[in-house]
Amino acid sequence: MMTGERSLGLLLFEMTFLVLLGPLVTGIIQKIKARIQCRQGAGVLQPYRDLAKLFRKGTVQADTASGLFRLIPVLVLAATVAAGALIPVVRAGPPSFPLGDALLLLGLLALARFLTAVGALDAGGAFGGMGASREMTLAPLVEPVLMMVVFSTAVAAGTTELGALAAQRGTSWVLAWHAADFLGFAAMLVLLPAETGRIPVDNPDTHLELTMLHEGMLLEHSGPGLGCMLLASHTRQIVTLGLVSALFFPIGPANGADAAGLLLGVGAFAAKILVLASYLALVESSYAKLRLFRVPQFLGIGFVCALTALALRIL
Amino acid sequence: MNVDSGLNLMAACYGAGALSALLARWSGRLALSVGHLATLAGAVVGLGVSLSVLLGAPGRTLTQPLPALFPFARLSLSVDGLSAYFLLVISLVAVAAAVYGPAYLRTYSPDAGPARQATQVLALNVFVGCMAFLCCAGDAMTFLLFWEGMTLASYVLVVSDDRDGENARAGLLYMVMAHGGTALLLVAFLVLTERAGAFDFAALRAAAGDLDGTTRTTLFFLALVGFGTKAGVVPLHVWLPRAHPAAPSHVSALMSGVMLKVAIYGLLRFAFDILAPVAGPLPSSWGWTVLVVGTTSAVLGVLYALQQHDIKRLLAFHSVENIGIILIGVGLAMILWRREGVGGVLATVALTAALLHTLNHAAFKGLLFLGAGSVISRTHVRNMEELGGLARRMPWTAGLFLLGAIAISALPPLNGFVSEWLTFQALLGGAGRFHGPAGLVIVFSAAMLALTGGLAAACFAKAFGVTFLGRPRTAHAEHATEAPPSMIVGMAWLGALCVALGVAPGYAMRLLDAPTAGLLHGPGASAVVTARGPMVLSAGLTASGTAATAISMTMVTALLIALTAIAWVLRRGSRRGPPRAAPTWACGMSPTSRFDYTATAFAKPLRFVFATLYRPRREVIRETAGTPYVVRRIHYAGEVVDLAETQIYHRVQRGISSLSQSIRARSTGRIHGYIGFVLAALFVALLLFGVDQ
Repeated sequence: MMTGERSLGLLLFEMTFLVLLGPLVTGIIQKIKARIQCRQGAGVLQPYRDLAKLFRKGTVQADTASGLFRLIPVLVLAATVAAGALIPVVRAGPPSFPLGDALLLLGLLALARFLTAVGALDAGGAFGGMGASREMTLAPLVEPVLMMVVFSTAVAAGTTELGALAAQRGTSWVLAWHAADFLGFAAMLVLLPAETGRIPVDNPDTHLELTMLHEGMLLEHSGPGLGCMLLASHTRQIVTLGLVSALFFPIGPANGADAAGLLLGVGAFAAKILVLASYLALVESSYAKLRLFRVPQFLGIGFVCALTALALRIL
Repeated sequence: MNVDSGLNLMAACYGAGALSALLARWSGRLALSVGHLATLAGAVVGLGVSLSVLLGAPGRTLTQPLPALFPFARLSLSVDGLSAYFLLVISLVAVAAAVYGPAYLRTYSPDAGPARQATQVLALNVFVGCMAFLCCAGDAMTFLLFWEGMTLASYVLVVSDDRDGENARAGLLYMVMAHGGTALLLVAFLVLTERAGAFDFAALRAAAGDLDGTTRTTLFFLALVGFGTKAGVVPLHVWLPRAHPAAPSHVSALMSGVMLKVAIYGLLRFAFDILAPVAGPLPSSWGWTVLVVGTTSAVLGVLYALQQHDIKRLLAFHSVENIGIILIGVGLAMILWRREGVGGVLATVALTAALLHTLNHAAFKGLLFLGAGSVISRTHVRNMEELGGLARRMPWTAGLFLLGAIAISALPPLNGFVSEWLTFQALLGGAGRFHGPAGLVIVFSAAMLALTGGLAAACFAKAFGVTFLGRPRTAHAEHATEAPPSMIVGMAWLGALCVALGVAPGYAMRLLDAPTAGLLHGPGASAVVTARGPMVLSAGLTASGTAATAISMTMVTALLIALTAIAWVLRRGSRRGPPRAAPTWACGMSPTSRFDYTATAFAKPLRFVFATLYRPRREVIRETAGTPYVVRRIHYAGEVVDLAETQIYHRVQRGISSLSQSIRARSTGRIHGYIGFVLAALFVALLLFGVDQ
């Protein structure tokens, strides 16, 4: 067994931290959006209230759905939260447990997405099928680019372990960036709205059939099941943001495992997430949603950036 | 188990199974049962033989002479690590097929006469037996004989369902393509045997040592095309999506899960063992070609699979994809093997990934074909658009099919993810060591592999969702019932294999030791991949000596299970009691099965995105009643083309047709003219080849 720098306890702490913080990020994005649109908006804690409400409610289930349908929210939430365990939050360095591989992270997120799509087809409505079809159309276009961005940093480090990649980044900031880093980061900025299901790729605020992707798949879930699905999408969002910050931003200089170092790490992480969340809110307020068949072209920008980043690394 | 007696016993089992076809004189059912039981026995013995070789002392090669049938060639069997590993793959799937087969054949075609049942039993045993012994062949003659036996027996099985003219055409195409490939293999082997003066592999190896570079590479490419035809690589795959669905489902499972792998075995044996230079790396053109061909096959295979509505055809296209993924690993191993400064460890990782994916693909593709077979035996429908709602009617089949779908989509925590992860690590390691365009090709191939995984997930969300979920679309699906227990046991065996290889892949590395060490003459798989204990997979060490990436599938699974339990508690909520059932929301209308998303609709956005490759054609015919505003009927037809078929095969076909047209003009029917042609041909041949003597 490898002697890593992050113990299992820290890993589980980071995972819980991400899950608990996930809804807050959504709340903050909604609040920033509201202020940009000159509205008061709901409080930043609104997503927590929504979740609490949903978990208290009963369930209504489509009469055509199979036994699998009740299991889907549980499995989706479990897969997404498990992905959260792989993100280095407060400290860099490889974990003492072999849990932290970027490909495994992407695999777990893909598993959650696959199960969501399967659940959407279960109820047998056109909306679910439409949402699933669109989501599964865009996912194969996003995943390779995401993987190429990961590779563009991983080729230099010789590993896809996120903790090790973050450690490689060290505490250096933009001044130490390679040209490939800028391009990779640009690709990531293009991918972020797609991966978190936001404008211009998806619209999280609507159930209108013309615009929805992810929301369409949740239409038949209700009560605690819907609560699980929502919690999963909050977690997915913060995990994606965490992946970007682990790949491109230096991780807090928390050398010791003492409380002060831990606090500093948490603070640094919160700051990074806040920056990325404001970016998402800004993009969402200033752009319209793209037509579905324009999205591949939009993602194409990310692909070109990622490919160039990789080429710069290798050539 | 003693390997010699094991091989004899295996031959006896398959032989007895083939002979049990005679029982059909009295009772077709009896022949089916006894024949499949013999296959099962043969497969179990095969498992024993292969495990005893793989887990026994390393580096042993057992040779067993066969009866001298030909005066010019000594036939023999020889079992080393690579043979044993492929024997293991064959036997594992054959066990499932043998358990599944009798009930399937009885429910699928209850009115089949004893003649057909006898044929199927005979062909099945010959087919499995030939594949098993092919991997144990010790000389070129034995190899080619079993190769031909395998082809003929599988052809018989493809056309055995004689109610369908389509099957006969599929069989003919298969036969032509397979023999075209075999012809190239014959050339490749005979060139070597002629130089060696003997047929056994040891002599061929010695003869190959003296070859010059051009001949060696030519022979390799002949073999690559020959084996590639059988393996179904793009663009030689056109027979595969036609022939595999035509066979009975458990035979499809064997053909897709195993027979294609036999071609991979042949390629590995020929390239790494027989043809490889005595020292130094393989010529670089070999590995790069295989890598590019593998990447192309993977992407195009899954793209064409996406647009299929016939569930077995869809699975057959996925075999093209998975063969591509295996070839990516093989190609990378060829590139990296013995290359100075790049490190042989990475070649071991690449070959391990390829071999592990071979086993994994056999498990999940076998499972998926058997699952599709259960559906077909109950509904007699292969078109997904006419199914639906089967998860409530066939819960076991649905659950196992979903397991296979997750595995083939390379999603954790099942086995497909493990081998693709290893392939990714090998690609990444390779890219880090090759600078310049070569590195970029490797990275591009990694990106394409990621695309393949995503598209496979989309394809199986569609396949599973449309077939098993929603409402039944036709009466066939409405009245379906669960498959009989023996069929479920057959599927569950492969399902358990998918889970075991996904959750604890470290233990399977022990099985890969003998083939990887034997083929690459380097460290074995477990020394590289499970250097940190069987629970942790790691991709060896990097150039700088730092520890490379590691994952533990066991821990991820444990984490997933724990989180699922927590989420389940959360999901139950505070209110007890069963959920209230209500109709699906359909904007106020009462939903019918026509509201369900169809497979065509599901795949339509991707058809638009990849329109360049699909060249979709759609035809809408409106029948109007006098005025254009009253439409009585709309007829819609849409199809996508297989680029290989339209761009290559149709042109070849046109060329052959016009050639035969022009020959027809010379074919007068008078014998003098023909004799003249023969003489002219002889004269030209003498001029060309008689000069040397």
